[in-house]
Amino acid sequence: MKFRPSRRKFLKQTLAGTAALSAAQFIPITALAARNDVPGSLLFFSHHEFRIIRAVAESMIGLHGASSEPLHPHDVALRADQFLADAEPEIQEQFHLLLVVFNSPIFTFVFDFQLKSFLDMSKSERDAYLRGWMTSIFTFRRTAFQGLKRLCMSMYYTDSRSWNEIHYSGMFLPEDRQ
Amino acid sequence: MILRPNDISGPVKESADVCIIGSGCGGGASAKILSEAGKKVIVLEEGGNFTHNDFDMTEQTAYTNLYQQRAGQATDDLSVTVLQGKCVGGSSTVNWTTSLRTPEFVLDAWKKNFGVKDLSADDLEPYFDRIEKYLNVHIEPEENHNPNNRIILNGAKKLGYHARATGRNTNGCVKSGACGLGCPFDAKLSVDVTYIPDAVKAGALIFPNFRADKIEVSENRKHVRGTILDQTTRTPRYEFDIEAPIVIVAASAIHSPVLLLKSGIANSSGHVGKHLTFHLTSAVVGIFDEVIYPAGGIPQSAMCDEFLNKNGDGGGFWIEAVPVYPALAALSLPGFGEEHHAMMKKFINIGASIVLVKEIDSEGEVAVNSYGRPSISYSTGIKDRAYMKEGVNTAAKIHFAAGAKKVMTLHTTPTIFSSPSEIERQLENAQWGANEITMFSAHPLGTCRMGEDVRKSVVNSRCESHDVPGLFVIDGSVTPTSLGVNPQITILAIAEKNAERIAEHYR
Ligand SMILES: Cc1cc2nc3c(=O)[nH]c(=O)nc-3n(C[C@H](O)[C@H](O)[C@H](O)COP(=O)(O)OP(=O)(O)OC[C@H]3O[C@@H](n4cnc5c(N)ncnc54)[C@H](O)[C@@H]3O)c2cc1C
Ligand code: SF4
Repeated sequence: MKFRPSRRKFLKQTLAGTAALSAAQFIPITALAARNDVPGSLLFFSHHEFRIIRAVAESMIGLHGASSEPLHPHDVALRADQFLADAEPEIQEQFHLLLVVFNSPIFTFVFDFQLKSFLDMSKSERDAYLRGWMTSIFTFRRTAFQGLKRLCMSMYYTDSRSWNEIHYSGMFLPEDRQ
Repeated sequence: MILRPNDISGPVKESADVCIIGSGCGGGASAKILSEAGKKVIVLEEGGNFTHNDFDMTEQTAYTNLYQQRAGQATDDLSVTVLQGKCVGGSSTVNWTTSLRTPEFVLDAWKKNFGVKDLSADDLEPYFDRIEKYLNVHIEPEENHNPNNRIILNGAKKLGYHARATGRNTNGCVKSGACGLGCPFDAKLSVDVTYIPDAVKAGALIFPNFRADKIEVSENRKHVRGTILDQTTRTPRYEFDIEAPIVIVAASAIHSPVLLLKSGIANSSGHVGKHLTFHLTSAVVGIFDEVIYPAGGIPQSAMCDEFLNKNGDGGGFWIEAVPVYPALAALSLPGFGEEHHAMMKKFINIGASIVLVKEIDSEGEVAVNSYGRPSISYSTGIKDRAYMKEGVNTAAKIHFAAGAKKVMTLHTTPTIFSSPSEIERQLENAQWGANEITMFSAHPLGTCRMGEDVRKSVVNSRCESHDVPGLFVIDGSVTPTSLGVNPQITILAIAEKNAERIAEHYR
């Protein structure tokens, strides 16, 4: 028999379905303190890479790591770890390489004349550094920026916990959703 | 019969009259026609078989199950995201239902410049008629356009541009907005719920999770060899070998050339993988006081078609509404950080329109990377870039005319207009190079183009390889030029016509 629920029932089922999916794939809300630690078992990133991607997520999405925020950069980085563990080998290879280049003080010196790794920069320095990659005259830096942006944004905004703050409540126009 | 994962417990060796690789518009339509003509047909599909019960209207599930590279497929420099389906039904399972015939000036150019035979507007008319009836293609009544589509209809009307409702292939649409995530109501008449079930009724065998890796040609037999994948983990389970005298490659304009190149066949012209067109797409985003909710309602039901081939050079652009879901919005909106986050908080007040350029001097290429997967490159020509600029300019004006308070483009460096008077100057100063403006394609075409000159084309007008008799390419790869309109009806018509010719010729 065909599955033809009413719109209302369907929305509920969908949200329930999403929640079930979340349970399988989302990372449990961890205590803030624990979020500053690197988790013991990562699937794709090394511990060092995990710290970089967590810092990138914070700047990229515009998070402050406050408990009032729906997702902590730590959660975004954990989702990215799971996501990249299943990615095509060429993408995995490129990401490992990208993170080395992105964080290395040698490259920050070459590109921005500062001998500091991304992780050692202040928040405003990180923003300026990311902006430099985004608008660089070198195509590979703009490409790398896009890669990091895609990863962080999609990990954050496909997570239903981020939807409340943007007033997104699933499909259907609001007037159809009684 | 559609094979289920549990039906398989070891390597598969089968034979058939016709082996079709890919179950999208080209493959699905060919499968129906040929199986109804009495051929034993096997359809190999790399993606899984998902139905309405699996479609939960979330980006996460849809991108994971239904899209190539989880919707992350792109050119090597990441400057153009290339959206394609990977599941039974192919891209039709995730497309936005716009159903348009091939423009006559395009078919005329194929005949004139590539010697394409029997595909004039008159030749295709009975096929268009039949397909439109089969897929219930219809225009939505006025009250069904959602606010995002109304921006185009109202804005264009105020400016005196021609705009109209598009045809849609649906039946019983409840206006959920989820077309791009798989229709949970079976209201979208995509290939997975039309051609494929009819092909199965006529005896076709559909093998989901079967990835063709190589076609081997010897004498008059052909073997398609490949890998059976686990539907969930996508890891290899077993190998398969399908033998058939006729093989139809219908793996899409990105994946068909990869298969031919890996197999080392059908490329005496050197044109396999070349001449990729994208129907290059960017967008403008308007911020409105009222709620637009760009994720809900019928995603795409209207367009502004004033500017296609307006100058008679075969180029130009087209403006359509685009459904926007949270992750898609986040990837497309310019910049990053707090400014970006603030824009995202206006999600329900944004309206978005895409500008699609029918290329005349841009081209790309699909090659094979060291992992045996597509390596996609593309470069934009001066004329097309000018059309993109004019298209973005026009779409921005349409948004203001429809009541937008601010309008922004997808330039990496935020380009935001507070009034129509700012558009021209800001666009003049904007950068249009790779990764300086977000670009998409949901309409890749042209990489195994058809024509009658064996030195300049890969297949003839019947979609048969110039080099290998009995080897056909029937999908979006065969169009000799960009179409300028959404391609599903064109691909279905070419497939139906040429599958009929195969059935007749190979009795
Ligand atoms: C998001 C989106 C929205 C769109 N909206 C519209 C619209 O509104 N109107 C319109 O006209 N068009 C639209 N399109 C485009 C349209 O759907 C496609 O042009 C059309 O489906 C292409 O048909 P095809 O047969 O060339 O390839 P596809 O339909 O993409 O089918 C190819 C199939 O081959 C499979 N495959 C690939 N490689 C292999 C292999 N090695 N072995 C086995 N199988 C393989 C793929 O998994 C896929 O299922 C849209 C596309 C997308 C992605
Ligand atoms: S808008 Fe209509 S056709 Fe599209 S998914 Fe919803 S019900 Fe299906």
